Amino acid sequence: MDKLLTLWEGSGLYNLELGQLVMVVVGLLLLYLAIYKKFEPLLLVPIGFGGILANIPEAGLAISALDQAIAVARPAVLQQIASALGATLDPLAGADAWRETLKLVVGNGSSPDQLRAAHDIASFAGYSDGLLYVFYSMAIATGIAPLIIFMGVGAMTDFGPLLANPRTLFLGAAAQFGIFATLFGAVAMSAMGWMDFTLNQSAAIGIIGGADGPTSIYVSSMLAPELLGAIAVAAYAYMALVPLIQPPIMRLLTTQKEREIKMTQLRPVSKLEKVVFPLLLLMLVALFLPDAAPLLGMFCFGNLMRECGVVERLSDTAQNALINIVTIVLGLAVGSKLMAESFLALETLGIMALGMVAFAIGTASGVVMAKVMNIVSRMPINPLIGAAGVSAVPMAARVANKVGLESNPHNFLLMHAMGPNVAGVIGSAVAAGVMIKYLG
Amino acid sequence: MQDSELLHDGLALMALGMGFVFVFLTVLVVSVTLMSKLIGRFQPAPIASNTNKTTLSPAATSDQDGETLAVISAAVHRYRMARRR
Repeated sequence: MDKLLTLWEGSGLYNLELGQLVMVVVGLLLLYLAIYKKFEPLLLVPIGFGGILANIPEAGLAISALDQAIAVARPAVLQQIASALGATLDPLAGADAWRETLKLVVGNGSSPDQLRAAHDIASFAGYSDGLLYVFYSMAIATGIAPLIIFMGVGAMTDFGPLLANPRTLFLGAAAQFGIFATLFGAVAMSAMGWMDFTLNQSAAIGIIGGADGPTSIYVSSMLAPELLGAIAVAAYAYMALVPLIQPPIMRLLTTQKEREIKMTQLRPVSKLEKVVFPLLLLMLVALFLPDAAPLLGMFCFGNLMRECGVVERLSDTAQNALINIVTIVLGLAVGSKLMAESFLALETLGIMALGMVAFAIGTASGVVMAKVMNIVSRMPINPLIGAAGVSAVPMAARVANKVGLESNPHNFLLMHAMGPNVAGVIGSAVAAGVMIKYLG
Repeated sequence: MQDSELLHDGLALMALGMGFVFVFLTVLVVSVTLMSKLIGRFQPAPIASNTNKTTLSPAATSDQDGETLAVISAAVHRYRMARRR
């Protein structure tokens, strides 16, 4: 009978908390969106599955050895940990009260030395870091995974349309207004007492408006790791929703006549220009904004491998095998941040709402900028391609093309929209660099 | 008091960030345009070399075609000769 009881007390059903149950449902919802609705499946499948894994009761896949030991270890081990942390445990209180005390002590006010000692005790007692925790500390906390993905994106990006018409870079710049307007929105919400975001957190939320998954993960891992789960989910979910969010805004801000504007054929771009461009961009980053160097440096490196034409094997690996491996690890690591304690908060709803606003403002400012440029310059610019300035490559460009075709079935804007689209990637990486410089 | 400070910081970061993004991309536009012009001047238009290649390649293929044609007709001829016997 006793053994049966132990088995029952060790079961997931006995230990399941309401929050965990809700998070498992959230994970299943993400999987549903990814599999049936095709929302960025490459990321949302690993993220959703990781979210479910992270919330399996008692398994501790997403927590460190120390947290795991505090949650389930025998009282003797707890006492050892307490002495390593310099905490005192009330001998009269039960083991459950000790666990609470230790959690608080670990959460705030332990020196790195004490934590390391406590971690060693936990490892010695046979507890190990959870799989997802290892993925997180290896891939995201170090910043490596988003950077490698950025290298792959660089290796997949063709700067030809941008080089043929460099002015479209302005559209990519204008669309970044979404990032900063959202940052200000988050700050304003905190000032009015609706939410409680610090400046760092607001910046990390704003970067959702960059519509660039790796950039948002990179920035939030540096500025606000506690919000990373919600931010990454919002960023990827809204990237998938670009075809739904953008067209109404684009139609609202343009007239039928503007949507019918035909653009002149792009000039051919020589190979030498394409080889020199990543190096030129790298030099400018080195000169003006070294804080964006990790992101844009890897991006330029990937692009150089693609364009130089002598390292096709490396370029191929960066675009395919490597980016796939890293995507799996990154997705699971983001999933580890979907733990009930941190995700089920009012803030998450705020982040979701702000993320949507960020996309909308970015789209609108890109379109408005294109209209302004149309007044100034002689070469006609179809305002629809301004919406492609939010990165979301190549989805946003396809949306611009599609809305253009609705107005004039013979007007193909895809190549023209690729210019602002890749400019948006550069723009959001620069914006990320500014934020890291200012707040990091 | 603290709230207004936060707002102020947010506003400052917004202006600074947006300004910097624009300045950086403007510099990029200028330097890309310069780079394209320079390359256009020192390297003759890529179209010329393209046409060269295209004029060369059909000649090569037609040459090859002639050779294969000869080989095939020779083979057919031989086959027919063999059949006649």
